[in-house]
Amino acid sequence: MERPFLGFGLGLRTAHYEHVIENKPQVDWFEIISENYMIPGGKPLAHLDKIRQDYPMVMHGVSMSIGSTDPLNVDYLKKLKTLIDRVEPQWISDHLCWTAVNHVNSHDLLPLPYNEATISHIVDRIKQVQDTIGRQMLIENLSSYVTYNNSEMPEWDFVNEIAKRADCYILLDINNIFVSANNHHFEPQDYINGIDSDRVMQFHLAGHSYNGDMIIDTHDHDVCDPVWSLYEYALGRFGAVSTMIERDDNIPPFEELRQELAIAEKIAAKVLTPQQLHISNKSSLGVA
Amino acid sequence: MSDLHDMQQRFMDYLLDESTTIVDEIESTPMRSAKGRLDIYASAYRLRLKEAITTDYDKLALYLGDERFEKLMDLYIDKFPSHTTNLRYFSTHLPELIRDETDYAHIAEVYELACIERAFADSFDAKDLQFATIDDLAALPEQAWGTLSFKFQKSVQIIWLEHNSFPIWKALAEEHTPPKANKSSATAWILWRKSDLISHYRMLAPEEIAILALAMQGENFAVMCEKLLEFYNEQETPMKAIGFLQSWITEEMLAGFEY
Repeated sequence: MERPFLGFGLGLRTAHYEHVIENKPQVDWFEIISENYMIPGGKPLAHLDKIRQDYPMVMHGVSMSIGSTDPLNVDYLKKLKTLIDRVEPQWISDHLCWTAVNHVNSHDLLPLPYNEATISHIVDRIKQVQDTIGRQMLIENLSSYVTYNNSEMPEWDFVNEIAKRADCYILLDINNIFVSANNHHFEPQDYINGIDSDRVMQFHLAGHSYNGDMIIDTHDHDVCDPVWSLYEYALGRFGAVSTMIERDDNIPPFEELRQELAIAEKIAAKVLTPQQLHISNKSSLGVA
Repeated sequence: MSDLHDMQQRFMDYLLDESTTIVDEIESTPMRSAKGRLDIYASAYRLRLKEAITTDYDKLALYLGDERFEKLMDLYIDKFPSHTTNLRYFSTHLPELIRDETDYAHIAEVYELACIERAFADSFDAKDLQFATIDDLAALPEQAWGTLSFKFQKSVQIIWLEHNSFPIWKALAEEHTPPKANKSSATAWILWRKSDLISHYRMLAPEEIAILALAMQGENFAVMCEKLLEFYNEQETPMKAIGFLQSWITEEMLAGFEY
């Protein structure tokens, strides 16, 4: 299938609700954190509905815990489906990680061992999720700080194999590749070269922080130059991919973030042709 | 998947500070030991939960000060591991912890402040229902009044306070020095969200809380009027009852009628 291209988006954050509603700034689309709206009612949903009228959206979750050995959380999936029906997003995504075990939630994106047993486990669960929500999903690569002794393959092979066998798509976080490359001593370009181009549906960009010589995925700074370079490299490899910037802490005024997004647009214009950058967001992904 | 399950449990035990056996399953590198790498997750775990608690109880945090609030959060995180997928609901048991398991049991305004903040959080994103109007009331058929009961907005919450905790909360919200805590006779407060999506609150007079409590339990209008006879004579009671009902409607507390 031809990859839909939404253009250049931003993460929708509470601090920017009023600016977005009042000024309708020029942004191609917004990504929402699903869990922020998996609530009964009130202001967040009212703002969401208003903003959705003017912008395409995608939904990005942090709590599906697709890699957990707990049973899939049926209540969570029901609420997710309710939100999908409300937002009608272009697509939904979550992380290739686990967040809870024995029903205790870490509220963190915890890494998995990269081996065949984990792949089989996760492929089954993604298929169940896709059956439940009636559409294909995207899985995102993590920033990670540990490697398990029983990992048997590079992360990119792990991601590819799951996407292929579960018939889902990949949300490639360029900053996460940079962070993990530093923390686990691999070349970030090897990761990008190793990913199946046909499965990549979206890019994330973000800033990070240093903890000694390790890098932590904090989303509290501007995107740094090496990550912009890696983004340029990724565009050269994959072509036009819907791109957004995540900012979750130390959040600047909206227009500052918008200017940062303009850097992504400028890089894409340098690497790709206007034909490649034609926005094609008419159909939602994989809706049955 | 028992290997993966056991590994995940050992990883979680590390975050919960209960066991360090997972260390042997993680690669150490010259850059950072396995323990140093796991500690990044362990620190982030507590930090994230503390951020969630502080978001929900920011006035209490101001009232207690950094050191005491930090200690309270550590106790909460140890006693109440998260069983929710949504951080929004993680801190929901903090008032009970304060009341039942801390030295603040004898400093009642601390518990009351926590109750107020939790009520605001619960009101903020309670389910949206339509708002009943005076026209809806006027359109009720005469026979409805015999069994008429009331459906309240999901955001409506009643809080009983024995201290001047709302003035304390208000001062903290406005970044003023809070008044000294004073014990008084128990008073009821109502907190609810209007159509402007903002949560409002006010004190309830004894006669109003007496019938409001009945109305919220689903008792009908006749029972409420009977209760009001404890406060007013037979002539005054029907008009007083209608007056309360009209104010609940104009203040956007009511969602509808049942009969």
